[in-house]
Amino acid sequence: MTMKTIKYLFLALSVLSCNVLDQVSPNDVADGSVFDSEDGANAALIGLYSSMQSRDYYGGYYPLVADLYSDIGTAGGFDNVALDEINILDVTTANIITENIWLSIYGTIAGANAIVERVGLVSDPGFTQTEKDHIKGQALAIRALAHFDLLRMFGEHWNSSSAFGIPVVTKIQKASDVVARSGVSAVYDAILADLTAAATLVDGDERSTEFMNVVAIKALASRVQLYRGNKTAAASLATEVIEDGQYELLDAGSIEKIYTSPYRASESLFELTFDIQNRSAYNAATFSRTNALRTEVLFLAENSLNSFFADRPGDVRSEFLDFENNDESILPDGRSLKYRGEETRDNPAYIIRLAEVYLIRAEAKGLAGGLADLNAVRTSRGLEELKSSDLGGAEEFIDALLDERKAELNFEGSRMFDLARTGRSTDVLGIEAYQRIFPIPLREIIATRGVIKQNPGYPD
Amino acid sequence: MRKLFTLLFCLGTILVFAQKITLTGKVTDSSDGSPLPGVNILEKGTNNGTSTDLNGNFSISVGPGASLTVSFIGYSAQEVVVGTQTSLQIILQPDNVTLTDVVVIGYGTIEKRDVTGAISSVNNKDFKDQPLVNVAGNLQGKMSGVNITSASGTPGAGLLVSIRGAANPLYVVDGVPMLSESNSSIATSFDTEGNVVGSGQNISSISDINPNDIESVEVLKDASAAAIYGARAANGVILITTKRGKSGKTKFNFNHYTGIQQPARKIEFLNSKKFLDLIQEARANDLALYNDDNSIFGEDFDSSVLTDPLNYSEDGTNTVWLDEVLKNAAIRNYEVSASGGNEKTKFFAGGTYFDQDGIVINSGYRRLSTRLNLDHQATDRVSIGVNFSASNSSNRRSFNDNTYTGIITNALGASPLMPVKDEDGNYADYTLYQVNWLSDNPVLSANEIRAWTKSNRLIGSVFGEIKLHENLKFRSSWSADFNGVTDDQFFSPITADASAVGGKAYTSDFQQTTWLSENIFTFNKSVGKSSINAIAGYTMQETSSRFTSLSGQGFPSVSGLENLSSAALLTKGTGNSTSFGLVSYLGRVNYELDSKYLLSATIRADGSSRFSQNDRYGFFPSVSGGWRLSREAFFGERDWLNELKLRASYGVTGDQEIGNFQNVSFWQPARYVGQSGLRPRNIADPNLTWQTNKSINAGIDFELFKGRLSGSVDYFKSNKFNLLSNDIIPATTGFATITRNKGEIENRGWEFSLNSVNVSNDRIRWNTSVNISFIKNEIKDLSNDGLLLNAYSDLSPTHILKTGESLGTFWAVKYAGVDPQTGDALFYNVDGDKVPAAEVSTDDAQIAGKAIPDYFGGLNNTLQVGNFDFLIATQFNVGNSIYNLIKATYLNMGWSNEGGLDQVYANNSVEVEKRWKKPGDKTSVPRASFINQNYVENSTQFIEDGSFFRIRTLSGGYTFKPKQGGFFNSLRVYAQVQNLHVFTKYSGFDPEVSSTGSSDQRVSGIDYAAYPQPRTYMIGFNLSF
Repeated sequence: MTMKTIKYLFLALSVLSCNVLDQVSPNDVADGSVFDSEDGANAALIGLYSSMQSRDYYGGYYPLVADLYSDIGTAGGFDNVALDEINILDVTTANIITENIWLSIYGTIAGANAIVERVGLVSDPGFTQTEKDHIKGQALAIRALAHFDLLRMFGEHWNSSSAFGIPVVTKIQKASDVVARSGVSAVYDAILADLTAAATLVDGDERSTEFMNVVAIKALASRVQLYRGNKTAAASLATEVIEDGQYELLDAGSIEKIYTSPYRASESLFELTFDIQNRSAYNAATFSRTNALRTEVLFLAENSLNSFFADRPGDVRSEFLDFENNDESILPDGRSLKYRGEETRDNPAYIIRLAEVYLIRAEAKGLAGGLADLNAVRTSRGLEELKSSDLGGAEEFIDALLDERKAELNFEGSRMFDLARTGRSTDVLGIEAYQRIFPIPLREIIATRGVIKQNPGYPD
Repeated sequence: MRKLFTLLFCLGTILVFAQKITLTGKVTDSSDGSPLPGVNILEKGTNNGTSTDLNGNFSISVGPGASLTVSFIGYSAQEVVVGTQTSLQIILQPDNVTLTDVVVIGYGTIEKRDVTGAISSVNNKDFKDQPLVNVAGNLQGKMSGVNITSASGTPGAGLLVSIRGAANPLYVVDGVPMLSESNSSIATSFDTEGNVVGSGQNISSISDINPNDIESVEVLKDASAAAIYGARAANGVILITTKRGKSGKTKFNFNHYTGIQQPARKIEFLNSKKFLDLIQEARANDLALYNDDNSIFGEDFDSSVLTDPLNYSEDGTNTVWLDEVLKNAAIRNYEVSASGGNEKTKFFAGGTYFDQDGIVINSGYRRLSTRLNLDHQATDRVSIGVNFSASNSSNRRSFNDNTYTGIITNALGASPLMPVKDEDGNYADYTLYQVNWLSDNPVLSANEIRAWTKSNRLIGSVFGEIKLHENLKFRSSWSADFNGVTDDQFFSPITADASAVGGKAYTSDFQQTTWLSENIFTFNKSVGKSSINAIAGYTMQETSSRFTSLSGQGFPSVSGLENLSSAALLTKGTGNSTSFGLVSYLGRVNYELDSKYLLSATIRADGSSRFSQNDRYGFFPSVSGGWRLSREAFFGERDWLNELKLRASYGVTGDQEIGNFQNVSFWQPARYVGQSGLRPRNIADPNLTWQTNKSINAGIDFELFKGRLSGSVDYFKSNKFNLLSNDIIPATTGFATITRNKGEIENRGWEFSLNSVNVSNDRIRWNTSVNISFIKNEIKDLSNDGLLLNAYSDLSPTHILKTGESLGTFWAVKYAGVDPQTGDALFYNVDGDKVPAAEVSTDDAQIAGKAIPDYFGGLNNTLQVGNFDFLIATQFNVGNSIYNLIKATYLNMGWSNEGGLDQVYANNSVEVEKRWKKPGDKTSVPRASFINQNYVENSTQFIEDGSFFRIRTLSGGYTFKPKQGGFFNSLRVYAQVQNLHVFTKYSGFDPEVSSTGSSDQRVSGIDYAAYPQPRTYMIGFNLSF
C-alpha cells in the first residue's frame, strides 16, 4: 500500500461520509412538506380527528373524569392517588390525570391551527376552494370544541365577567410562545366566532356522524350559548338542529342502538368513532370484563346513581347501569353498561346527541317554553310526561332538567359542568365554590413561568 | 497488547557477545507451570539480551559471574545470579504490582505508569467464573468511581452503571462502539387498561458479550481519557478487550460450573389466622370510633360492615404466596476454549453455553456464544486479523416484574386464605377471595402468560495493519454488528388480562445493522530523552434498524396454538425504521520526557446525523499531564516509596443520545375511520446540538514498599452543560416537551483505591484491595425548576427536579409517626402541623431523600496458600434512600378499600405485628383501620435507608498440578457462593433495586416489587491441557 492508495482510500471514505450524515426518517413527514397537496391537507384533517382520540381526551378520560368529579362516578383502581383525588373532589395542582387532559386538548388545538392557517395556501390545481373550505371549517369547529372543553373544565365558564378563562390559541406556536389566560367572555367570543365561521365553510349537505358536520356545529354552538347564558341564541340554534329532519329521538325500545355496534344511531350528531385497531379506553375504564374486581375498573358508578334510578320507574336508561351482577368487591357501587365492547374496544365518544339538544332548548326556554322539550326526551325513554303543576317554579324546573340530563348523559361527561353552570356544585357535591373547576396543572404554571395564573382558591 | 510485545521481542535483534559461557534455560509460569514465550532476558548492566522461544526456552552467552534480569509483562521481574551452572529453571510469579501493567486506552495501549488520565482496569482473573450474564456485573465493587447496581434479579436484565455519577456509559468491544440499549419491545409495566405506565426492566444488549471471553475491562473515567471517543463519551467509556491467542503450544481450557440459586431474602407475610386477626382488629378499632362519634365516617355510613360477620373465615388454607412463585433454580455454564499459534498466526477460539433458570417460576435466560479471534503476520510489514463473535440468547420473561399486575406484586398482596388451585383443580379465581389488590392469581399469571425475548447477535471485524515506516503504521478496521431481537408474548384465554378477548398475543421483530470503519495512523519515535506517540484517524459509522410488530386476539382455547396465525382478529400492526450516522476525525499526542514528564493531548471532531447541518459537528479536546516525582534526582532513592506520580487533566466530551430525528419537526402517521392521516409528532429546536461535558481531574498514583502497597487518589469535577433534556414547554404550543440543550449538572468527588500485598512468599500470597468513592451530584441549572416527576405515569409524583439538589431526589409527604393516644398515622402538612392521613395530599409533600449514595465502594481479598485459593469480594453503598412504593400495599393495616364484608385491600407483612394496639403504645406502625387508609403511599413512611454492605462473592479452590508430561496442565476445582449476605436496614427484597429499570437517574430508586435477587451456591472446575 503506498501513500497514494491511502490517499484514494481517504477520498473514497469522505465521499461515503456525506451520505452517512444525511439520514431521512422513513416514518414521519417533515412539517414543511405536509401542506404540499390536497392529499396532505386531507391527511392532516384525518390526523386532527385522530388527535381527539387520545385516551386523555375523547378516547375516554375527558368525559369520564368529568362524571367522576360529580355524584355519578366513583373511583376503582389500585389506590390510584390521582384518580382518588378526583373522586374525593379534592384535586391537587400536580394531578397527573388533569395535567394529561390539559396537554392533550391543546395538542388537538395545535393540529387544528396548522390546518386553519395553511390549508388555504396549498397550491394544488385540483384542490378547489370548496374542498379547502370544508377542511378548514371542520378544523375551526374542532378548535372551538377543544377550547370549550378546556373552558368548562379549567375556567370559570359560568361567569362571563371573570378573568379566569383559558389561554386561547389561534396561531401556530413556536416553542417559546406563551399565551396568557383570556377572560371568560373573550374565550366565548373566540369559540363562537370559530363555530359561526365553521358552519358557513363546511359542506352544508354533509351529515356524516363521524365527522364534524353543519348540524353538529350548530348543536355545539347552541350548547356554548347556553353555557354563556345567551338563552335566545341557544334556543334558536337548537331549533335549527331539531328541525334539520335528518335526526330523531329513538324510542324506549331502540335506545340501545346508541350504545351498540355499529353505533352512529340516528340520534347522534357527532360521534368520534373507534375500531379494533384504534381503540378507545371506555370499555377498559368502565367495564373491563364480566368478572372484574373493583381494582380493575377505574370509573365506577356511584351507589347513589342506583337510588336515583330507583326513583324513576319505567326509565329505560336504568338498563345501562349494573348494580347487581358485579363482583362483590364493586358493590354497593356499580358499573355503566354504555360501553360494552370487551372484544373490540371500539366504543365511540358521544360528543353531541339530539337528546342533549332538546334538553338545551328546554333549559334555554325555561319552564314555560321548555317543558315540551323536556317531555319529548322523557317520553322517548319510557317515562311519563311531567306537568307544569308537578313543578313548583323555575328552580324546580332546573332541578328536573338536571335530573333528566343526569339520566340521559351519565358517563358521557356532562354532570360536572351542569352542576357548575347552574350553581349547584356546592349544594350537590358539598365542595367549596372554588372547586367547581379543576386547578390549572402545576406544570403549566412552571412552563409559562407564572404567566398563566392559578384559579382562585387553589394554591399557586 | 501482550501479544504485540511478544512479537516485538521475538523480532528484536538478538545481540550475542563472544567469549562467554553459554547458558540455556526455561521460563515457566508459577500458576500453572506453562512455558512463557517472549520473556525478556537481559544481562544486568549490559545491552546483552534475548527472549524465550515458543516453548519458554532461551539461550544466552554471558560473562562469568553475571546476573540476569528476567522480566515479562504481567509478571514480577526476577534477578538470577549465574553461578557455574549452564542450565536454569526460572519460575515467574504473576505480578500484582499494578503500575507496570499495560492498560488499553482508546485506539492504543499505554503502560499504566504513563497514564495521565483517570482509568480503572480489571483483568479476567478478577472476574472469571462468576455466575453473571452481563459483564458489568463482574465489575461491581471493583473500581473506584464506578457504581454498578442491579435493578432487579431478572435474569438477563441490564445493570445500572454509573461512572462518576453519570449513567449510560459507552461500551467499546475490541474497538467497536456498541449500543447498550434494550431492544426488546415487550413492555413490562402495564396498568389495568393495558397501557404501558413505566419502562420496566430492560434487557441490555451488552449481555450478548460473553464475560468469559473478556481479557480485560478498562473504564475511562475522566474527560482526558474518554475524549478520544468524543461525542459519545460524556458518561465515561468502558473498553472491553477480548482474549487473543499467544504463540506457543495450543492450550485448551474447559471450564464448568453448576449451582443452585435461591431467593436471597424473602418478605414474611401474615398467615391466615394473623391476617384475620388484623382485619377483625381493624374493624374493632373503627367500631370503637364509630360508637364514640357516629358521624365520623359520614352520613351514609352503614355500620354493619363493622359489626356483621365477615363473609370469610379460617378454613385451614394457609398459602405462602412467595413460596408459590419463587423457587430454587439451577444455573450452569460450560465453556471450551483453545488458544495458541505460532509466530505468524495466533488464535483464540471459544464457545460457551450459559443456562440460568430464574428464581421466579417460569423465567430464565440461556445464551450460546462463540468467538474466534485471529491474528496473522503476513509479512514483516503487514498484519491482519479477525474478531468474530456470534451469540444466541433466549430469555423467558417474567410478566410485569415492576408494577401492579406482575407476578411478584400480586404474590405480595395475595390472601393466605386463597389456594393456588381450587378443589376442582382449576386455578383459584382470585376475584372470589379476600383481596381486591390482585389482578390475577399469581401462579396463573406465571404459567399462562408466556413471554420470550430471543436475540441473535453477530459482531465481526477485520483489520489490517501496515508498517509504512519504522516509526509509522496504518491500521484500517471494518466492523459489522448485526442484532436481531424477537419478542413473543402470549396471554392464554384464562388470564384476567385476556379472558374477555379469548387470549391475546403480541409478536415483534427488531433488526439492527451497524457498520463501522476506522482508519488510524500511529506514529512512534524516541529522540534522546523524549519519546512521542501520536495517532491520527478517521472513522465513520452508520446504524440502521427496523421494527415490526403485530398483535392479535381470540385464540382456540385448548389447542395449544399460540402463533398469530391462530388469532381470530389482528388488532394492531406497526412497522418503523430509523437510522443515524456518525463521522469522526481524531488525533492524540502522547509525549514523554525523560520518563518523568508526561503530556497527552487529544482532539476528536464528531459529526452526527442527529443534528442539523450547522450544528452537526462537535469538537472535543482534552489535555493532561503527569509528573513522575519518584524519577527526579532530588527525590532520591527511597526504599519505602518506589513510585509517585502526580496527574492532572482537563477535557471536553459530548453526548448525542437523544434518539434519531429530534432536530426536525415532524408529522406522524395517524388513523381515523379507516383512513390514514398525519398529525404533529414533535416540535423541534433546529439548533439542537451536542451536550458537552467539561471535566477536570487531579490525581496521585503511588507504590510503596516495592509494590507491596499501591494506590491512587483522585479528585474530579465534571460539569455537563447544554443538557439534552426534554424540557417542558407551555401546553399551548401543542406539545408537552421539547428536546433542547438546557441545564447543567455537576458531579464532583474523591476516589480512593488501595491495593496491598499483605503476605507474599513461596507458599502464601494474600492481597487486599479496597476502593471508596465520594460523589456529589448537584443540579446547577434547570429550565423548569421544581418540576415534579412520576416514576409511573399514573401515580402521584415521586421525584422532583430542583437546582441545588441531586438527580433522583424524592418528593413525599413527611411522616410524623404514630399518635400514641389514637394510633393514627400522622403526617406533616404544608403548615408543619401533624395531621392524619386523610388530611394531606401531594400539595403537602417535600424533599425527602435521594436515590444517589453519598459514597460507595468495595473491599476485596484474595488469598493463595499453596495450591489453595480463596476470594472474598464485597460491595457497599451508603447514604441513598429507596422509595419502597410497593410496601404501602402490604402495610395497609387491614384497610378494606371499600371491599366491605367480602374483601380487604391486601395481605400485610409481619411488620404489622408491631402495630399500635392500645393508647400509650409507642411504635412506628399505626393502628389497624378498616374504613380509612391509615397510611399515605407517597410519604416518607415508605422511604427507607438503602445503605448496604454486601458479601458478593466468597469462593475457595484447589489447583492440581501434575508433573510435566501429565494428561493436563492444571485442574482447579472450586466452590463459590454469590451474594452470600447483604447487611442492610432495608425491608424489601434487596436494596439494589430500581423498578423503573431504566438508567433514567431522574426517577431512580423506586421499589415496586422488582424481581428478587438470588443467592447462588455453585461448584466448578477449570481444566487446562
